[in-house]
Amino acid sequence: MSLVFNIQRYSLHDGDGIRTTVFLKGCPLKCRWCCNPESQSYEKEVMYTRSKCIGKTECGFCEKYGVEFEENKAKITAECPHEVCNICPSKAVKTVGEEYTADEILDIAERDSIFGGGITISGGEPLTHPDLLLEILKKAKQRRLSTALETCGHADYSVLFEAAKYLDMIMFDIKSLNTEKHREYTGKSSELIIKNFTALCADYPNLRKKVRTPVIPDFNDTANDIMDIAAFLRDKPNVQYELLPYHSYGKSKYQALGREYPMGEKTLDKHNFEVLKALAEEML
Amino acid sequence: MSQTLSPQEIRIKAEAKNHIKVQGKNRAYGILQKIRSVKPVIDIERGLYFTQSFKETEGQPLQLRWAKALYHYAKNAKVYIDDDQLLVGRSGKEGRYGILYPELDGNIFKEAMEKLPTRENSPFDITDKDRKTVIEEIAPYWQGKTFHENFAKSLTPETTKLTYNPDKELTSRYIVNETASFRSSLQWVHDYEIVLEKGFKGIKEEALEKLSGLDEYSPLDYTEKRPFLEAMIITCDAIVLWANRHADLADGLAAKESDPKRRAELKKIAETCRRVPENPPRTFYEAMQAQWFTQMFSRIEQKTGTIISNGRMDQYLYPFYKHDIKAGIITDDEVQELFECMWVAMAQFIDLYLSDTGGAFNEGYAHWEAVTIGGQTKEGLDATNELTYILLKSKREFPLNYPDLAARIHTRSPKRYLYEVAETIKAGEGFPKLINDEDVVPLLLSKGAKFEEAYDYSVSGCAECRMPNRDTYTSPNAYINFAAALEMVIYNGKMLKYGDEVLGLETGEFTKFKTFDALLEAFLKQQRNFIKHAFIQQREIIRLRAQHFASPLGSALHKLCREQYLDIHQPKIEGGIDLGYFEYMGFATVIDSLAAIKKTVFEDKTLTLAQIKEALEHNFKGYEAVRQILLNAPSYGNDDEYTDSIGKLLDREAQEFTRKYGAELGVHMDLRLVPFTSHVPFGKVVSATPNGRFANTPLSDGSSASQGADINGPTAVLLSNYATKNFDCCEHAGRLINVKLSPACVKGEEGTEKLVRFIEAWRDLKLWHIQFNVLNTDTMRAAQKDPENYRNLLVRIAGYSAYFTELTKDLQDDLISRTEHEAV
Repeated sequence: MSLVFNIQRYSLHDGDGIRTTVFLKGCPLKCRWCCNPESQSYEKEVMYTRSKCIGKTECGFCEKYGVEFEENKAKITAECPHEVCNICPSKAVKTVGEEYTADEILDIAERDSIFGGGITISGGEPLTHPDLLLEILKKAKQRRLSTALETCGHADYSVLFEAAKYLDMIMFDIKSLNTEKHREYTGKSSELIIKNFTALCADYPNLRKKVRTPVIPDFNDTANDIMDIAAFLRDKPNVQYELLPYHSYGKSKYQALGREYPMGEKTLDKHNFEVLKALAEEML
Repeated sequence: MSQTLSPQEIRIKAEAKNHIKVQGKNRAYGILQKIRSVKPVIDIERGLYFTQSFKETEGQPLQLRWAKALYHYAKNAKVYIDDDQLLVGRSGKEGRYGILYPELDGNIFKEAMEKLPTRENSPFDITDKDRKTVIEEIAPYWQGKTFHENFAKSLTPETTKLTYNPDKELTSRYIVNETASFRSSLQWVHDYEIVLEKGFKGIKEEALEKLSGLDEYSPLDYTEKRPFLEAMIITCDAIVLWANRHADLADGLAAKESDPKRRAELKKIAETCRRVPENPPRTFYEAMQAQWFTQMFSRIEQKTGTIISNGRMDQYLYPFYKHDIKAGIITDDEVQELFECMWVAMAQFIDLYLSDTGGAFNEGYAHWEAVTIGGQTKEGLDATNELTYILLKSKREFPLNYPDLAARIHTRSPKRYLYEVAETIKAGEGFPKLINDEDVVPLLLSKGAKFEEAYDYSVSGCAECRMPNRDTYTSPNAYINFAAALEMVIYNGKMLKYGDEVLGLETGEFTKFKTFDALLEAFLKQQRNFIKHAFIQQREIIRLRAQHFASPLGSALHKLCREQYLDIHQPKIEGGIDLGYFEYMGFATVIDSLAAIKKTVFEDKTLTLAQIKEALEHNFKGYEAVRQILLNAPSYGNDDEYTDSIGKLLDREAQEFTRKYGAELGVHMDLRLVPFTSHVPFGKVVSATPNGRFANTPLSDGSSASQGADINGPTAVLLSNYATKNFDCCEHAGRLINVKLSPACVKGEEGTEKLVRFIEAWRDLKLWHIQFNVLNTDTMRAAQKDPENYRNLLVRIAGYSAYFTELTKDLQDDLISRTEHEAV
C-alpha cells in the first residue's frame, strides 16, 4: 500500500501555475543531501519536534507508553509506539505516512485547480508506486487536470513509459554522470537514470522536460560535472535545464527522525554556483 | 515580548512600515517631507464656528441651522495656501490636524482634551488657549444635546447593559457595540460628477427655481421643502464664498511673491478658485480643485465614517484628462503630480476620534478616502483607461498610505490591469485592495439596483460599495462580539470580566450539554439575542440621527434628496436603497471554538466540557495540554469541510435573522465581516476561548482564519471563504480577507504571474474583497518571537516554499539576513 507524506497546497515551484503537489513516501535513492528524509522509507515513521513538546510537568501523557523524559522533554526514538502520536496534545510526536485513495487526492487537486495549476506528483520516488501513480494520472486526465511528475529517474522504464502518456510535463533530476560518485552519494549508480532519460526522450520527444541538477558540495560542484550533464542534454528534445543550489534546510527533519545529518556543516560556495549556472546557460 | 514603546515610537514604526522615503521627483515629496513627522494638532475653528452659529439659530429647522453654520465657517475660518502646493483648501492649521464635531460627542470634550496629547493610540496636541476655548466656549453648549447622550437615554436596560459600561462616560462594553456616537454618518461617496457638470451655481439655480415654484399656502412646502431649498442655497453660497476667499489670498500672495514661477502658480490658483467649484471646470486642474473643495467642505460639514471617499476618479476625471492631453495643456507626469498634491493634502487631515472606542477602531490615524479604479462602465464594459494606470503608478511611486486605493476586478479586466495591480501589491504596502464586481454587482441587483447603477458602484470606506444617487442609508451600525456570545454559553449568560452580572441569555450549565447540537443551539440563541439588541439600537439610531444631524451639502449632491426635499439623514427616502449592516466579530474564533468542542468532546472524547471550562477559567494556566489538544482541532481557513460547514451555518443563521427582522427597521441590515482594527479591543473583553486562544488577545479578523491557524496556505483560505458563503442568500454585505505573503512568493515575473492567477481565482470564487500583505524581515523577526501567531507565515526558500516557524532557528536567521541583502 502506498503512503502519502504530504499534500502541499499553494505549490509555487513545481510546475506551471499554483499547483497541488502530492508527495509519495519511499525512494530507491538515499541522497546524502536529501531535504525530505521522511520521504525515503516506504513505511510509516515517527517524527518528533522536540521544541513543540510541552513537557512532563504540563503533560506527560506519553509516560504510560514507556516514554522517558530528559530536561522535562520527552525522549522519543524511532521505536516509539504509534499510539503516542495519537495522544500527543501538541503534535510534537506525529506519524508521517498516510493512506489516501487516488480520488481523495484528486478531489483536493480539483478544488485547487481554480488557481490555474494542476497536480504535481512528487516523492520519494513516485515511479516506485506504479499502481497509485498511474491511477492518479489516468483519473487526473479524466478530470482534465494538468499533470506533472517529479522523479529521480531510478525506476522500471515500463512505469515511466506508461506514466509519460498522461503527463503534461516532467521534472527529471540528473545528479551526476559519474556512476561511482553517484553510487557513493545516493546509494545507486546513475546508469539506469541516464538510460531511462535517453529512452524517454526517444519515446516522447514532445513531452516538456525540465532537467534539474542539485549542486552539492564535493559531489558535483565542478565545471566538469555540470558540463558533462549539459553536453549529454544538448541534443535532447524539449529539454529545459536548471541548477538548484544545495541547502541544509532539511536538517531539522533529520533531528525529528532521530537521524544524523549526513552532510554535516558543508556549505555551497555561492560564487561558484553562479559560475556553474552561467556555464550551464551558455551550453544549452 | 519587546520593550514598551512610546506613542512616538509606535508612530515611527507604523510609518516605517509604510516605507516612507524622502526623495522624489515632484513637489508633493517636498511637502510630504515637511509634514510627515509633525505630531497632529487639534484645530478648533470648525467646532467653534459651528457652536457660535448653533447658539444663534436655536428653534430653526436643523437643515437650515447646519447650512448657516457652514456659511458662518466659510466666512470666518482662516484660509490657507500651503507653500508649493497646487491644490488649496484645508480645514485646519498647517501640518497634520484634526477638527472637532461637538454635535457628536461634545459631552466628552473636557475629558478628551486632557487625555489626547498623551494617549497611546493616535495622540494629538492642542494649545492651552485652544483647550480653554474648547472647555469654556464649545463644550458647555452641547451638554445634554449630543447624539451620544440622547441615544444612551433611549435604550432599554437590557440593551444598555450589552452596550455601555455602567459609568457616566458611557464607555463601550465591546459586546453589542454601537458606532453611531463617534461618527455622524456611515462611509459615503458623493456624486462628484454633478459638481463637475453643473458647478454649485447650477445646483443653486435649480434650488432657486424650485423655491419660486413652491405653493405659498402649503404647510408641507412651507415647513419641509422651503428650509431644504434654502439650506441648499446657503450651502452653495458657503462653498463658493470659501473658494473665493482662497482666491483673494492667492492674489495677495502673488503680489508679494518674488519667484516668478510661483507667482504664476499663485495667479493660476486664484483664477481657478474664482472659477470652481462655482462653475463647471474646463480643465483637469480645475476639475481636481473642484473635487478637492467639495470633499474638504464635506469634511467640515460632518464626520463621515472613515472620511469621505473619492469615488471613481479614473472615470469622472477622464473626460478632462482626455481633453487636456488632446489640447496639449497637460502631461501624464503633471497629472500624477496633481494627484500627489491631493494625496499629500489628504494626509494632513487626520480623522480625530475623541473616544477611546473610536481610537481603537482606527488605530494609527487610520482613514480611508477610497479611490476606486477599474471595474465596468455604466454599460457593463471594461472601464480601465489611462488614468487608471496613472493612479496605480502613483500608488507604487508615492510613499504614502493615503488615499486607500481600491481596484475593481471583473472577468474582462485587461491583463495589463491585472498585472499592474499585482505589481503594485508587490510593492508590499498592501495597496490596492481588490473588490470583486462578480460578487458585488449581482448583490446590488438583488437589492433593487438597475444594471447601470450596479455597474457604476464606487468603493466606499473599508470594503463597502456605494451607488451615488441611489444609496440612501447613512446610520452607523453595530459591531457585535460573537466571541462574547460564545463566552455566555460557557458561563450561562455571564462573562468572566463582568463577574456575576447576567448579560446574555441563561442557556444552561455548560458542562451539562449532552450533544453538540444542543450546545450549538445554545450558541445560536445567544447569537440571535445579540443581533436582536443590535437591531433595537439601530432602530433608535435611525430615529434619533434625523433629529441630531443634517447634511445640506451631502443632500444637495444627491438626486433623490433634491427631488424629495429631504435630508440624506432622514429615515426614509423614496426610491433609495438602504444598505445597512451588522458586523460579525470573531467569525473564525467562534467557528474554531465550536469545532474544537465538537471534535474533542463529542467525537474523539479526549476532553470533557468540564475540563474545557476549568481550563478556560484559568486562562489555560496549568492546562497547557488541554490548550494544545484544542489548538490542534480542525480550524477554519484550511478548506476543511469540518469547520467550513459550521461557518456556513453561522452565516446562514445570521442572514435568516435579518431577513425576518431587518425589514422592521425599513432597511437592509446585512451580515458583514469587516473589522477595521477593532478585533483587538473586542478581544480584550473576552476571556480564553475553546480554540486555544488566551484571554484578552485579539479575535480573528473579518473572514480571515484565526491568527496562524490557516496552515494549508492562502489558496485554502479562499476556498474556506467560498465554502462558508451562502450564495442563495442576499442578506449580506462585505467580507474582508487579509492574505499575508512573503515577498519571495511573488518574486520576479513568475511571481507576478502567480499572483495574477491567485487574483483571478479569487474573482472566480466570487469573494468580495481581498488585500495582500507582502511581508518583510521585521515580520520574520516577530514570527521568531511569537511562533504560534505566525504559524501560517509562508516563506520562499531555495526551490520551494515552507512555513517559517517550522524551520530551525539557524535557517530562520539565514532567511532574515538573506532577505535583507536582497532588499538592498
